[in-house]
Amino acid sequence: MNTFYKYAVFLIISLVIVAGIVLPIPNIPALGDKARVLYFHVPMSWISVVAFVMSLWYAVRFLKSKEISYDIKSFSAAQLGFLFCILATATGSLWAKFNWGSFWNWDPRQTSIFILLLIYGAYFALRSAIDAEEQKARLSSVYAIIAGITMPFFIFIMPRLVETLHPDPIINNSGKINMDTSMLIIFLTSLLGFTLLFLWVMNLKTRLEMLKYRKSLKQAQ
Amino acid sequence: MYEFLETNSMYVVLLIVLIIWIGIFGYLKSMDKQIKNLETKE
Repeated sequence: MNTFYKYAVFLIISLVIVAGIVLPIPNIPALGDKARVLYFHVPMSWISVVAFVMSLWYAVRFLKSKEISYDIKSFSAAQLGFLFCILATATGSLWAKFNWGSFWNWDPRQTSIFILLLIYGAYFALRSAIDAEEQKARLSSVYAIIAGITMPFFIFIMPRLVETLHPDPIINNSGKINMDTSMLIIFLTSLLGFTLLFLWVMNLKTRLEMLKYRKSLKQAQ
Repeated sequence: MYEFLETNSMYVVLLIVLIIWIGIFGYLKSMDKQIKNLETKE
């Protein structure tokens, strides 16, 4: 990642923060200024989906090639996906406190993200329970694939099957985006900025894990 | 002071969020540099 990339990420996210907090938004019934949370909450969910899909993809590639770098990438993506999932839960929960009256209501959205966190929590427990590198990589790759397959069900399908208090998703059930143009521009910029940030952090995390792996190999010799 | 915070709450939030973001960015930049150093040492 070159210096231009890093400063571009800095600039985009800084602009989103300033525009998202300061620029006026149209009056949205029952939401008001609290609707601003979507500039930060939705990108967090989006990145966790991207990260979990990447984790699944690298797990498949590891099982095909048995190259340890793919397992490291799969693990790094799952860790970042988990982190962003927690951030999505926290931002959603803060919003819920001011809109619904309490941080946690066991709304279908909250329940499904909680189950998703448990599923990926079990992935890390599985990894830490196995010492042999190859066995750890193989078993956790299989688990990452299973977890990745269940993820769309918990994020996209389950909350749409049951009644929820959660506002409509960005692309609503009739397949349309009902958002003011200025809000949509800030929202899409936010998605871009946070996705670029994720790719940078993913790069750092993978390189760090590779260093750790090479160090453990040296120590074993 | 309380009145100032109440009337300018949006700007106070903006300032805090920007400080946190600058901190995160600085941390990531320094981590990038440290990883690069470790990679060249190998």
